[in-house]
Formats: sequence, C-alpha cells, structure tokens
Amino acid sequence: MSTRIPAPDRTRALERRDHPALRVAALVALLVLWELLTRTGRIPALFLPSPLGVINAGVEMARSGELATHVATSLRRIALGFGLGALGGVSVGLVTGFWSVAEAVGNPLIAATFPIPKIALLPLLILWLGIGEASKVAVIMLGVFFPMAINTHTGVRTADPLLIRAAASFGAGRVSLVRKVLLPSALPMIFAGLKLGAGTALLLLVAAEMIAANAGIGFLILHAQNLMETTKLMVGIVLLSLLGVASHWLLVRLERAALPWKTP
Amino acid sequence: MPRRLAALLVAVLVWGGVSEAPAQGQKVKLGVLRLTSSAVLFVGAEKGYFKEFGIEPEFVFFEAAQPIAVAIASGDLEVGATGLTAGLYNIVAGGVPIWIVADKGREWPDHNLTALVVRKDLYDAGVRTLRDLKGKKIGVTQIGSTFHYNVGRLLEKEGMAPGEVELVPLQSLGAVADALTAKRLDAVATAEPFVSRLETSGVGVTLIRTGDSLPWQIAVMLYADRFARDRARAVAFMKGYVKASRHYFDSVVKRRAGPEYDEIVAITATYTGARPELIRRGFPYQDRDGRLMPGDIGRQTAWWFAQGLVKAPIPDRDIVDESFLREALKGMP
Amino acid sequence: MRVVAERVSKTYADRLGQPVEALRDVSLAVDAEEFVALLGPSGCGKSTFLNIVAGLLRPSAGDVFLEGALRPAQSATAMVFQEFALLPWRTVQANVEFGLEELGVCARERVARARDYIALTGLAGFEAKYPHQLSGGMRQRVGIARALAVDPAVLLMDEPFSALDAQTRQLMQEELLLIWERTRKTILYVTHNIQEAVYLADRVVVLSRRPGRVLATVPVELDRPRVEALLGTPEFAAAVERIWSLIKGEARRALEEAQ
Repeated sequence: MSTRIPAPDRTRALERRDHPALRVAALVALLVLWELLTRTGRIPALFLPSPLGVINAGVEMARSGELATHVATSLRRIALGFGLGALGGVSVGLVTGFWSVAEAVGNPLIAATFPIPKIALLPLLILWLGIGEASKVAVIMLGVFFPMAINTHTGVRTADPLLIRAAASFGAGRVSLVRKVLLPSALPMIFAGLKLGAGTALLLLVAAEMIAANAGIGFLILHAQNLMETTKLMVGIVLLSLLGVASHWLLVRLERAALPWKTP
Repeated sequence: MPRRLAALLVAVLVWGGVSEAPAQGQKVKLGVLRLTSSAVLFVGAEKGYFKEFGIEPEFVFFEAAQPIAVAIASGDLEVGATGLTAGLYNIVAGGVPIWIVADKGREWPDHNLTALVVRKDLYDAGVRTLRDLKGKKIGVTQIGSTFHYNVGRLLEKEGMAPGEVELVPLQSLGAVADALTAKRLDAVATAEPFVSRLETSGVGVTLIRTGDSLPWQIAVMLYADRFARDRARAVAFMKGYVKASRHYFDSVVKRRAGPEYDEIVAITATYTGARPELIRRGFPYQDRDGRLMPGDIGRQTAWWFAQGLVKAPIPDRDIVDESFLREALKGMP
Repeated sequence: MRVVAERVSKTYADRLGQPVEALRDVSLAVDAEEFVALLGPSGCGKSTFLNIVAGLLRPSAGDVFLEGALRPAQSATAMVFQEFALLPWRTVQANVEFGLEELGVCARERVARARDYIALTGLAGFEAKYPHQLSGGMRQRVGIARALAVDPAVLLMDEPFSALDAQTRQLMQEELLLIWERTRKTILYVTHNIQEAVYLADRVVVLSRRPGRVLATVPVELDRPRVEALLGTPEFAAAVERIWSLIKGEARRALEEAQ
C-alpha cells in the first residue's frame, strides 16, 4: 500500500489571472464597432457621431485654437476655484481639528451648510457676485472647500494619540505638534479630499460654464447642444473625461511625492 | 316594409357617410409648447377642424423649442410647432431631414411677441437706441436661439457688427430677467410675459419691439420626414391646420375682440393654465392661410451660416416644403 | 541625575466616568547612573507612573523631582515606547533628529549627533529608510537612538521590547546593556517580565496590582557585565524565584479576578 500520489494542487481555485491584452482589446473593439455602426449610415451622425469624426473635430478645433481657448479658460477657473477651496478647507480643517474653540464654532456651521448642493447655490452666487468669473470660481471653491475641510478635520482628529504623546515627550509645543505631527497625519485624508474635490470641481465647472459663459468646456458642451452639433458635444465630453483622468493622475503622482512613506 | 326601407336607408347613409369621409380618427403626434403661441393648434383641436379631415391630434407638451425639433428629427413626433433656431437648421445641415411646412407665428408690426428691454437706469441716462448699447451686455437665453437672431439682425439693421455688444447666454428667460433685475446685464432680449413683468416692476423699459422693426418668420409647423411621405395624412392634417389658422386669424389677429376671441382665450387657458390677461398679450401674428414669409427661411439660414453657427448652407428645397399647404388650399374657398 | 518620587497617587475617570485608582502612595528613588526596573502585573499602573515622570500625566497627589544639574542641550527625560511611536513620515535620520529639533539644536549638530546614535544603535546604512521598511527590532533601535540623541538625564523605557519576538528581545536586551555601559544613563525601565527585570537592572521595584503600590524593592546582586550565559546560572534562577514568590499571590488573585 505504499503508493505515491502528488500533493493536491488547489491553486486553480485561488487563481485570478490578469488579462491586460483583453482589456485593451475590449476597448478597441467597442470603438471599432461604434465606428462601423456609424459607417453603415443607419444611425445619423447627428445622433451618434463616429469616433473618427470626433477625433477629426477635435483636431480641427485644436488647429483653429478654439480648443486651447476653452481648455485654458476652464483650467484657469478650476485652478483658482480648486486652489482657493483647498487652501481654505485645509486651513479650516486644521484649525477646527486642533483648536477646540474653533471646532465648537466651526463644526455646526460646516455640518449645516455642507449638505447644500453647491449647484443650487449657483443662481444665488450669480446674483451676489455677478455673471463674470467670480461666481464661477466661487461655486467651484465652495464645492472643494467642504470635502477638504471635513477630511482635514477628520485627519487631524484621528491622528495617532501615541505619536502626539511621543512628540510631546520630547518637548514639542503646540505649533510643533501641528506642523510635525497633525498635518503629516492628516495628509492622506487631505489627498483623499483633493481627489474627491477634483471630481466635484469638474462637475461644478460644467454647471457654472453653462450659465453666462463665452468660453470653457462646459460652454462648449452646452453651445454644441444648443446648435445640435453633436460631434462637438462629444469632443467636449471627451475633453471633460480627459481632464478628469488627468487631474486624478496628477493628484496620485503628487500624493506619491508628498507621502513617500506610504509607498512600499 | 317602410320601416325596413328606412332602416336600409339609414344603413346606406351611415355607410356612405363613413366611406366618404377620410378614415376616421387618425392619430397624429403633435409636439407643442404649453404657451399662448400654440393657440392655433388648440383651436384646431377644440373646434374640430382636424377631426373634419379625419385627424386626431395627440398633443405632446414641451418646455423648450429645441427638443421639439430633435423629437421631429428622431421620429418621435410627426408634427411639431416650434421656433426657428440655429440648432434646428443644424439638424438639417447634419443630414437628418425635417420639413418646414407652414407659418406658425411671425414677428410682425403691432404684435409684441419679443422685445429688447433696456435697464431703467440706463434708459433714464439716455439710452434710446441699439447704438447706445455699444459695448454693453445683452442677455439672451442661448447662443443660436431666436433671441440671438433678434439681436443679431437688429444690430445688422443698425449697421453694427455682432461684436459691438456682448451677448450673455443665461439659458432661461427667468434667469435672463433675474440677471437684469440684479443689474448684472444692461439689456435683455426676451419675450412676453417677461417684457410686461420687467416694465411693470420698473426694472426695464422696452427699447425695441422686434416685430415693429424686424418682421420675420420666428415659428413654423414642422413635419417629420416619414410623416411627409405619408402624403394623404400630411395633406389632411394641413387642411385642418388651414381651417384653424383662418379661424384664429379672423378672431384674434383681425378682430382682437368679440365672443370668438374670448372663446379662443378660454380654450388657450384650459391648455396652458395661463391667466387670461397674459394670454391676450401673447397671441402672435400669423398668416391667414398659413403661408410662410417669402424668402425668410433662406434669409435666416444664410445669416446663421454667415455667423458660423450653422455649419453648411441650406438650400430652401432641402428644408421648406409648402406643397402640402398648396394642396390643402386647392380644395378650399 | 537622580529621580525621586514622593507618595505619588493617580486617580483618573474611566470611560463611564467612574474613578479608577491607578497608583497609591508610590515612593521610590533612582540614583544617578542606576538601572532600575519597575516590575508589575499588567494594569498595575507602572506605565502611568512612567508617564508621570515623563511629564505626560499629572499626579493626583505627590511629587516627582529630578535632582541634579542639566547640561546645555540636554533633555531631562526621554522616553522609549512599547509601540516604538516613530513618525511614519520621517526617515530614520529625521526621526532621530526629532528630539534635537525640539531642543533647539542647530541643523549641523543635529545631523552629527543623530549619526552618532544611529551608529551606536547599529542603524548605520538605514538613515534614509522609513519606519515601515524596518523590522520591529530595527524600529525600536530607532526609538532608542531618538531617545539617546537628546542626551537625557533620565532614560524612561516603557516595556520597550515586549512587542518583539523572543530572539530579537534577547539580542536587544544585551545591546541595551552594552549601550548603558557606555553611556551610564539613569534608566527607569518598566516591564512585566521578571527575567528581563533581573537580567537588566541593579534594583527591581515590584508594584502590586491596581491600585499600584510598592510591594518591595529587590536589589539584584549579579555581576556586570551580564551576558547571555548568566540566564542559565543558579544565581539568576534564585533571583528570579525570589521576586516571583513575592508576586505569585498577586498574580493568581489577578487571574481569578479576571475570570
């Protein structure tokens, strides 16, 4: 009865293979199918522009400088709104996170105003700040401010008390604690907030640019819709998604650079 | 025996009557705005003018003009009554046929449909003409809208370039009015009832009534391509429309008072839910026989094309088809 | 530098607001250059006592004094924590420099002093690593280097090796003794491990279970330098047995109470 059998191999059940080629192929197949579908002429380009048509329109707009104008305008609004909102949010979050008086004053205010959809404030902001740049930047700023303030606050409040005690045991004062322990502790949450805020900022950008704008990606989309230029509409949508992907990529890069201890 | 004969007679009469009239109760999907400007169609339905020709209009209500054109293009609607925008022309320029078949409202002297309203303080400071608005902000609903066309053509008439004022698109007439009230704009191109509302609240003063200065074919009846190919139904609908149009013209446009006028106000009120005094202010002018303003569609497409907002020139034969109207009028006195 | 605690008591409120007496009338002294182990069962308040000495907690009654003169750029106390408590976003070098920054030492001297203690604790070559890239033993070396770098008059160690595996713990204990021989710091070392206390300390102060009181102070009369071979000797076993007999009853009662 001394038979030899191989030790059972149960890895198959645990296996999960990655198919990178298939991922790309699926995407390409979708685009090709889409292109072919529009080529048959059964669906008018007015309702479903072809991928190549969209690319051509994009190239055409890039050549005429139209694209650059829209993108530059949107980027300026995003940069200003996002920058101011993030700066304000992080500052408020740090202050309320560390200083109990500020928390007592600030938290109920933030809790009360945070749930207001910022898009709903847009008409009001236009009445207060006018139809120019200020109202557009302000709505983006508000949209970014809240997630940043809340995340930073949470990040500070959830800082490891052991680290705070350790720092204090070496004689660290309040300023030192904020700068050297609380702020770095909150950084991962701050970056999570930035990524969240970037999505919100894009959404609000489009909403803001759909009112009283003469340039910008949101304007481009609405304008194309008004004029029934579906191909340009798609260019606008593609631009938006590219902007979304790019901003996320940039933030991930920035996060890696700022949080080297998080990457193995 | 006489009873049986009588019964037979009745049967023959009924049978004959049915066979002689066009097929009873053919439904036509008709897209309209829930506004006074659609009054003629409400009249057609309520007074039985469409039924007379075997057509049963099935109203589909819209909140904005452009979706009606889109629904016609996609075939979701068979007939539409809507304003002429750059977007509508671009549907045709994009290769999807839709047909302009009859008049449905014109900017016309002495009929205040839309107007250019200037802020009261600017008016008091001496702004009296479009030329005085050089460099100022004028609010419109959208780029490519009828309001954009109004301002653009009025500028042209004044010999001004389109860039000499700043057009600010605010999406809705309500937002346009609000922005003027908040003094974020210097003037607005708007329509009733906002014109009256801005004037009575002291916010603005009407500078130009578009119809007085620039008569044009602002609204039309549209046929979807498939409906246009269904010749018999398309002509039958048009017959009903012409009858409704004549009734509307005689009671509302020509007389502007009387029991028939009041009846149309009442009919419109039931369809739109608007107050009678607002309805009285909002009846647009249109041709008695539903004829389009000669050459005006070509003038519009050429202007939009010149502005770069319609991507290709559109010859009239690709978008205008008055043959249904001509055929319908043939059999009418 | 000498540490003197006089009748230190500590009562705090637990999560439900109930008062909990952690320490009662603890008096002890640690002489200059002496290595004292504070031994007691879990939850006897020995860490609380250490935190009071470090200035991180206020005693409810009694006082703690540090007797002696501080040199410039010298910290009175420095603490080594059980869970290391390294700043994860700082490299080894920067972690060791942390206390020096708070002392106001200039940048150039900080770098130099940190390098010395990194070398002393066997971390040379790891200066640029982040804590998460190090093993537990290496992390605690950083913790020790950080504490030593501020040249503390008294070194406070709160079960510094209890989170390490047995082999690493043994090696670290030996290294600690080597470092102590060289630096002659006054050390107050908290542990619940009798062997560790006997192996390391000149004197073992035994605390009762809560509320912590001083049960006994037992001098350890084993020769120095002590090496691993000592652990197998009858003298060592006898010293351990003496302390164990003191706290056996306490430990059993604690176990019964827990059940």
